Amino acid sequence: MSFNIEEGRYIILGSIDGLLATLGIIIGVSVVSASDAIVVSAALGGAIALALTNGVGSYLAESTIEHGKLAITEKSLLRKLTNTYVESQSRRKIAQDALSSGAASFIGSLIPLAPWIFSVGSVAASVALSLISLVALGIYAGYISRQSYAISVVKMVALGTLIVIAVQLLRISHLVQ
Amino acid sequence: MSQIRRIVLDVLKPHEPTNVEVASAIGDIRDVDGVNLSLYEVDQQTENVKITVEGTDVNFDLVLQTIENLGGVVHSVDEIIAGKKIVEEEETLHDRG
Repeated sequence: MSFNIEEGRYIILGSIDGLLATLGIIIGVSVVSASDAIVVSAALGGAIALALTNGVGSYLAESTIEHGKLAITEKSLLRKLTNTYVESQSRRKIAQDALSSGAASFIGSLIPLAPWIFSVGSVAASVALSLISLVALGIYAGYISRQSYAISVVKMVALGTLIVIAVQLLRISHLVQ
Repeated sequence: MSQIRRIVLDVLKPHEPTNVEVASAIGDIRDVDGVNLSLYEVDQQTENVKITVEGTDVNFDLVLQTIENLGGVVHSVDEIIAGKKIVEEEETLHDRG
């Protein structure tokens, strides 16, 4: 089976979303509670919600785009493409993209959550695991884009770090109040 | 009824599926010995191809169905050869003129 470059889009989107949003929840909840159970509960709830919204969102977006593309092609051919191989491939792509997005989001969410699930939770551990994951995502992005791996990794880690810093600043401002 | 030995079709198709996939799908039809698909025009959404199908007993309806299932539209049937042997078109004085 050949690798479909288009699949990379939702894998990267979903993974970053799940990873950093869940990290944000963990950082935020850990300010008000030292309980592992509460952190896991809040973050897992967020992970599931993220996975579902990403999956549904991707389904709706891809559905709209693919049907639009089919309509344009039908107009050029002066025929309907209903019940053809072309339409079935469109439907397959929509389902595949929705699944990729939702699954990548959920798996991404589990990474910063993992230390808390195994009762060795700390914000530092979650941040460290998340940064390692961003490096891996950067390498993957470099592989797909056929561009410099180093630049892809730096971009991914730098932007991810900015988000972590932003969330930490919110956490600090809460403590100051 | 005579067996169809060769058909030449003028087809308008979308870019996807690819010409390789279309030729392969037609080639998989029973009693089709060979397929020649050549591209002669391309635009943003579609491409015009000439499809030549040869076999011992080509099922014309099945070829049409396959092309339509793959999103193609048959504009015209440019050549049909039927019978026990393949008979090529002969050039006449009119054609030479």
